[in-house]
Amino acid sequence: MTMNDPLIVGVSEFVDLLNQTLEFAYPSVIIIGELSDFKISKQKWIYFDLKDNQAKVRFFGTVYHLPGPLKDGLMLKVRAIPHLHPQYGFSLNVQHIALSGEGSIKQASELLKAQLLAEGLFALERKRTLPYPPDRIGLITSAESAAYSDFLKIVNQRWGGMEIILNNVQVQGEPAIDQIIKAITKFNQMAEPPDVLVITRGGGSIDDLQIFNHELVTRSIAGSRIPTLVAIGHEQDVSLAELAADQRASTPSNAAELLVPDKKNIISQLKMTSQQMNTYLNHTLQMLKLNVTEYKKYLQTGISQNITQYRNYLQNRSEKMNLLDPQAILSRGYAIVYRQKLIIRRASEFGKQDLINVQFSDGSIEATVNKVITP
Amino acid sequence: MAKNEINYQELSNELDILLAKLQDPATNLDDAMSLYKRGRVIIKELETYLKQAENTVRTLSAEKAES
Repeated sequence: MTMNDPLIVGVSEFVDLLNQTLEFAYPSVIIIGELSDFKISKQKWIYFDLKDNQAKVRFFGTVYHLPGPLKDGLMLKVRAIPHLHPQYGFSLNVQHIALSGEGSIKQASELLKAQLLAEGLFALERKRTLPYPPDRIGLITSAESAAYSDFLKIVNQRWGGMEIILNNVQVQGEPAIDQIIKAITKFNQMAEPPDVLVITRGGGSIDDLQIFNHELVTRSIAGSRIPTLVAIGHEQDVSLAELAADQRASTPSNAAELLVPDKKNIISQLKMTSQQMNTYLNHTLQMLKLNVTEYKKYLQTGISQNITQYRNYLQNRSEKMNLLDPQAILSRGYAIVYRQKLIIRRASEFGKQDLINVQFSDGSIEATVNKVITP
Repeated sequence: MAKNEINYQELSNELDILLAKLQDPATNLDDAMSLYKRGRVIIKELETYLKQAENTVRTLSAEKAES
């Protein structure tokens, strides 16, 4: 058989031969084109064409390959394996679907956003408060990226004593989607999961950041049992992954700032607290001193009042005593009669010739009774 | 290091509660003195922790136990 002789084979053999040739020549091919005739069958299989002005080719895949909801007219970049099916003819078996071009990326993102919004994935009620500061951080990013070094630098500057567990993943390109989803799952399945998950990367083109608008990545973040912080370094549209996260940050450095306090501020606050404690204690002491002074005053007043009262009482009694003083009575003209130093109160008690002593206010006399007169 | 050697959050919370008590006019002097002393100890511990504690980084995929 020469090179020019036609090949004579059976149909199945031809199909096999062609598939072998295709597999050898195009083990995988990326085709860019406009989506048309897009169909989902039995919620599992997808069929569509990619076309340009002159041609169109058929694709076959599963819903798991979809980056989100699609509609005809979007530009896609599809990686696939060319294949001749023995029954249904030529098609390309889908390995990966990405959107192509800013317009299509935005359109598809809006379609997915509307769908996830309707499902309540971005609802504020779902947002959890991140622990502040966390003890353990699960970090999902590329260890080679500036995002990683920026995040670590700021976190280390601001706070210490934490454990940072890195799950090193790609943050752009096809494998990134699967790796990020697996990393989230892995952290969530840990016996002692971290307190927070940080998913971060630096800025990039809209094409680079597509994975953060991917439906499965977004759902995985929304479904994480561990609270999430997503920081994608871009200025414009917020990605769906950020909308699904419990908190978003504008850059990896900003994520670090939101995640932990600055120890310099806390140390300053502690110094102020120390001063405050001094103030509080001094205040307590001042109050007590004031109380003691008040008690002293009260006691002094009380004692003075008592003394005055007693003085008055004494004065009163003294006056009464004065009134009752026998000397005072004698001064008024009365006299006391004694016989043998005993006071004799009645005339009938005297006998004739009794020797008596009569006391006046200014002195006394001795006398003898001449006569006793009684009625 | 699974957990901080001193629990920053617990100490910080204790300090907050202590400050509130110290500020309370109903707190007697003996208690106020004890609170003050404890407060000084906590502040010192927190300051030391903040100045000395460092973060540790480990890579998850490198550990068999976690994979």
